Amino acid sequence: MVFSRLCRVGVSLVSVLSLSFGLLGCVNLKAVRDFSGSSLSGIKSFEQLGYTFEDHCVDRCAYEAIRKFEFNRVLDCDCGLYLEADSVMVSMYQVVGGYFEALGHLAQNELTEFSTEGLVTSLTAEELGPLTVDANMAGAYSSISNLMLRSTTDFYRRRKIAAYIEEANAPLQVLLEAFQKTTRENLKGELRFKKERLYAYYMDMKMNNTLQSDYEKGKAATDYYQTLGEIEKKEKQMELFADALLEIAKGHQELYDKRDKLVAKDLALAMLGYSGQVKILLSEFNKLKP
Amino acid sequence: MAKLTSEQAKRLSDDFFFLGMAIGDFRYENWGKLTLEENKELSDMQAAILRCGEDILAYSTTLVMDEVAESLAKISAVTAEIRNTIKKLETVQKGLDTASAILILGAAILNRDPMGIGNSIKDLFTVWKGPLE
Repeated sequence: MVFSRLCRVGVSLVSVLSLSFGLLGCVNLKAVRDFSGSSLSGIKSFEQLGYTFEDHCVDRCAYEAIRKFEFNRVLDCDCGLYLEADSVMVSMYQVVGGYFEALGHLAQNELTEFSTEGLVTSLTAEELGPLTVDANMAGAYSSISNLMLRSTTDFYRRRKIAAYIEEANAPLQVLLEAFQKTTRENLKGELRFKKERLYAYYMDMKMNNTLQSDYEKGKAATDYYQTLGEIEKKEKQMELFADALLEIAKGHQELYDKRDKLVAKDLALAMLGYSGQVKILLSEFNKLKP
Repeated sequence: MAKLTSEQAKRLSDDFFFLGMAIGDFRYENWGKLTLEENKELSDMQAAILRCGEDILAYSTTLVMDEVAESLAKISAVTAEIRNTIKKLETVQKGLDTASAILILGAAILNRDPMGIGNSIKDLFTVWKGPLE
């Protein structure tokens, strides 16, 4: 009798609590989680750029050998400086990516969706001997404890997330700015030299009248424009990647500005905008992949 | 002497690029007037200038490291803190699992079941000693 009354009270309490915590607690974490997820995907496309400073150095080295009509058993290129430049890019990539991965993980629901299955099983287990607990009662008890746990840990997470966003924003803005600039201006800048070298190679060929037949001339022109097109595609990918980094920076700034109102609905909408923008850029980027 | 910044290095690289380009254009415009040796010398010079500009651009990237080192360290520290918080949250699950294991052990003791007690202690030990993730 007492048990069944307790059970009914428990079940209604669960319904009320579910409703109120559901309304209050989820929006903020979802916004952070979604934004972190799309930011991480955007940042990870760095690996798909398919062009590094070292690649550029090796390409140049091969070109020099071709231009001079030199044959070596092994292409011997001194790329130390270029490897160092790559290590700077990789450091920024790993640190920024690691931050969004961790932030996204902290905002994951699974973290506070604790499994109370074990508790229910042990409460209703036959081994409890003389004391028998109604299965409904055990379910209600476990739901309440799960909900209470979740509400306190969600509150804890929200507080922590706000603190981390506050702490990370200034250095993150510096890093994202440096990362997008080095991609857009330095890595992509190297391609400008590659294009100029390509132009000189084919122009010398033309001016020297080394090509005789129309077919050879047509083939050379086709090769030139094909290679030029491939370089331009790489440039476009780098631009899109850099644009995505800018959007991520803007999105994190928005999170920072509204860190004390992490439950606000407008934050969720704003973050959806930034996430969407990163996804669009990412999709454009993927279209350019070979 | 003041240290070169990445931005200054980048501007220098731009200068080398445009210089290399200008030498190329000069060669093509004066192709007929240049002797073979002059043309080759200019071509080698153009290649060397472009190479220099590329190296400066790569060097400019390495200089960025000095400018972002502090930010890199700060973000790494925040990330480590976040990971610690995640671990703390995961221990709540461990607490729940442990509580369940203790309950089963209690039931086994109540039932005076030696086999059950032994198994429950083993299970409890496994849960408690198990990894957090």
